[in-house]
Parts: sequence; structure tokens; C-alpha cells
Amino acid sequence: MEFTLEEGQNLSADCPSLLLPGLSIGNVGQLAVDLLISSTGAKRVGFLDDPSLLPCVGNDAYGPEPEGVLALPLEAYESPPHALTLIQQRSPVIKGMIVEFAKNLADFVSSIGKKHVIILSSLDSGRMKKIVASSDMQVYYVSSTNNDGTDSDCERLGFKRLEEYDPTQRRWKYLNELAEGKPDREDELSFEDELVHDDYYPGLPFAALFSCCKAKGLKISCVDVQRVGGIYHYHGNQFMGHHLMCHFSDLSWYWEQIYYFFRGMY
Amino acid sequence: MEDVVTESPPPSRFFQEDLDNFAAPPPPLPPPLLLLDPKVGPDHIRPPLLIVALSAPSLAILHRFPHKILIGTLILPETPLAGNSLEPSPRDRSCYIYAVDHRPAAAVLVAVQFPVVAERARAVAKSLLGAIQAERVLIFDSIGSQNYRGRLAVDETLAFKLETVEERSGGQPLVRDVDFLPSGSVMDGLGAAIIAECQMRRAKGTLVATWPANGRSTVVPIIRSLLRGLSIDCGASDAGDEFDAGCSFSSRYVSDLYT
Repeated sequence: MEFTLEEGQNLSADCPSLLLPGLSIGNVGQLAVDLLISSTGAKRVGFLDDPSLLPCVGNDAYGPEPEGVLALPLEAYESPPHALTLIQQRSPVIKGMIVEFAKNLADFVSSIGKKHVIILSSLDSGRMKKIVASSDMQVYYVSSTNNDGTDSDCERLGFKRLEEYDPTQRRWKYLNELAEGKPDREDELSFEDELVHDDYYPGLPFAALFSCCKAKGLKISCVDVQRVGGIYHYHGNQFMGHHLMCHFSDLSWYWEQIYYFFRGMY
Repeated sequence: MEDVVTESPPPSRFFQEDLDNFAAPPPPLPPPLLLLDPKVGPDHIRPPLLIVALSAPSLAILHRFPHKILIGTLILPETPLAGNSLEPSPRDRSCYIYAVDHRPAAAVLVAVQFPVVAERARAVAKSLLGAIQAERVLIFDSIGSQNYRGRLAVDETLAFKLETVEERSGGQPLVRDVDFLPSGSVMDGLGAAIIAECQMRRAKGTLVATWPANGRSTVVPIIRSLLRGLSIDCGASDAGDEFDAGCSFSSRYVSDLYT
């Protein structure tokens, strides 16, 4: 992972928390990070580059009028008043390279001394063991604080531990071994193994980021929002800055929960 | 404003297979091979300007450049060379590197005449910018209709630009009188990789994206005008320009079956 500071910028020692999106159908994590960058007034401090990231550039992701500020696929922002660093990812990872990307990102995050990493992502409600028949948004989490994924701060905020997280499940174990760089075993899982239901969540990008950050000894929390219905599907193509306000009433609730999460921790 | 409740949602940028941690990785490929004439002097390794032609109109113009000297080539091992001619030809699947020494505007020109998949774009960008460290980089690319936020009419001619931070803050811009790419539209592929690499190196880079992608009589004059504004002699125009050059043209001239 390469990192270049923007001219005149430095990484602040006063931003111990790092927030980044976990890629998911609907791009909800990326949209949430865009909203947070915009609403906190976070300033761009640098650019990142990784061999696993597909190239994609655009113009000024946040201004109401395009002012020609080049936007790269992976950028770092900081908001010292909120003690927060944010990394925004705007393009996909090369198919089959997500774990490699997650390792490189975890290495970088560890090298710049971050204490707590929060991943924002979303879940497919159709895949969950128990579908909550409610129009309210549900927020689930997985944390490295305890072995079973629980965290008292997340519980206090009313987040629900993701029931589908089972560190003893075969794919979670395999993912952890990949993250720790353990040598291949003869009985390693084949990519052609028949998938069972429990194999779904460890296959998602947030799980790779979670496992790799945990392997580096970072405190990591994954916060995933699940919404019954297709409303987040609308956001799929929006993450370069348009139409973020259309569902602000939904995502502002999400942003509030994340904000309280931070305030509760620091 | 569109009705967000009843309007059909745009397609998500991700398919499920794109989000699978356990998907098989792509087979490893050898790095791009960039060959430069050993007699190439420092003026060509560190020229004032590097021009990279990716779009069909820019390739057509580049091949008409007078006073250009072939100084190198970039080879992708996975790209077949069957059918290429011994002398540089606009129909070759190749990436030729030329020097233009006609003062006052010396430049190095790169004509990318084969498709570069997105997964290889970064490697190609690093090879080019690692070997040729220009003071300024100018890339000519095409707008992809799938990446443009809005409608693109086939009879409409558009030109937009993107600049690195250093180019924007460095005084007089290299490309003037061209609007910035509208917010919400993106550029991908090799053009995006090159300007992103410029930004990572804190170099002055400009990407000019034009529409329509295939050579049309309205796009070529725009590019010629931009180059003349940089005091670059791009030679005389030719009515055949729009049909000769570039891999994005009709594939009837390009086939592995006929070598």
C-alpha cells in the first residue's frame, strides 16, 4: 500500500480512530463515509494506492459545483475536532484479491498508529438467520474486544451482535489464517467447496478487513446496517457525490448512531 | 428531481462475485516490459512533456506527427504480437514511444494501440511513468458512456479534463478552455491509472476525455487545437484519420485468425 500526503498536510496524532467502508451491495458503507466526510468537514490529507484496486478517477466528490479537485480511488481524510481519520474507497478490488487488499490496508493502518478501526458496511437481510420484521433499521456489529465478537460499548448503544459471526466456523477460521499469513495447509478449503449458509458472511469484504486488522493487533469493530426492503439498492451508483441527500433521513440516523458510538468511546 | 421511491434504481457497482473473499485470484502475469533505445538521452527520459494517446482520435493525430523518432516500445506479455508489421503502423497491437525534438516544444509521445484491461492498468502506468519522468503529463482518453452521468448523444461532441493537484496549483494550466469532468462521472482504465500515478508522484498531470470515442471529424480538430496551443506541430490533417488508428475502431482489421 502506497501513501502520499497531500501538499501541506500531515497525519494528525490526535485522530486515534479510523473509519473506513466495507464494500457491500448497495455501497452503503461508502455512502455513509461520504456523508461523514462531508458533514464533519474532514480535510483530505493524502492518497493511497494498492495493486489490488481498480483505477477510477473523478472530479470533486463533495462540492456542489465541480471545481476540478481530482478524486482518487482511495483517499484519507481527517477531522481533528472529531478525533477521526476516514478512508474512503471509491472503486472495487480486483476479483480474488480482497484478502490481499485487506492485509495491505491493515498493515498501513497499523503503521500510522491508529488505535481503533471501525468498518461501516451493510448486510443482505435475505441472508440473515432471523429477519426482524420491522421497518426500523437494524445495526449489527462484530468486535475484536472479546472472542465471541461482543463489545460492551456497542451493546450500550443498542447495536446487536451479528449472530452469524462464529470464529470457530470453518471459513472464519480459514480467513483468520489467511490474515495471519499462515502457510497453506493440505486440508485448506478449496474454492470449489460447496457453500453452506454459514459460509456467506466470512466471504464478505468486511470480514476480510476485520480479520486482517485483528491479526495486526488493532481494535476493530464492524458496524453493519440491515434494512428490510430494497431502499438501499437505490444507492448503488451514487458514491461519487450525487443524490446523497435523497435518503438523508435514513442515513442521518445511521450517522447519528456512529457519531454516538465515537463519543461514547472517546 | 427524480422520484426516489418509484424510479428504478440504477445498477449497483458491485456484483456478488466481486465481493467474495474466497474468489480465485487472477493468474499472476509478468510485469510490462518497457524497452528504450540505449542511445536515448536524458532529454527523452525527463522531457518537458509526456503525451499519452489512448483514444482513437488522438492516436490518429499522433501518427501524423512530423519529426517524430521511434525511441522505444512497451510490451505486455499477454498481448499477442501476431500480425504486427516491422515498421510502426497505426493498425498494430503495440505501444510505441516516440520523441519529438522539434523545438521549441520537445515531448515524448506514447501511442497505446492495444486494449489494457483494468487489472493491468496500474502496472502499465507505473512502467511508463517510472521510465519517462516528464515535467508534465498529458493523457488523451475517451469518455465511456457507462461512466458518464447523463446522456451522451452520438452526434454530440464533448471534451472535459481532470488535473492533478499540482497541475491545478502550478500556475498556468496546460490545457485551457476545457471544462472539468462533471461531478458524478468517472474515468477508469489506463487513463485513470496514469493520472492517479501522476497524483501519487505529486506530478503535474492532465487527462483530457473526449466523446464520441471513435474518431469523428469534430473531435480531431479539438485535440489538434489543444496541441497547437502547446506549440506542438501535429502535422497536416487527413480525411482518413478517423478510420486508421486505434484499437477501439472496428475489429475488421484486427483478428488473431489472420496473421
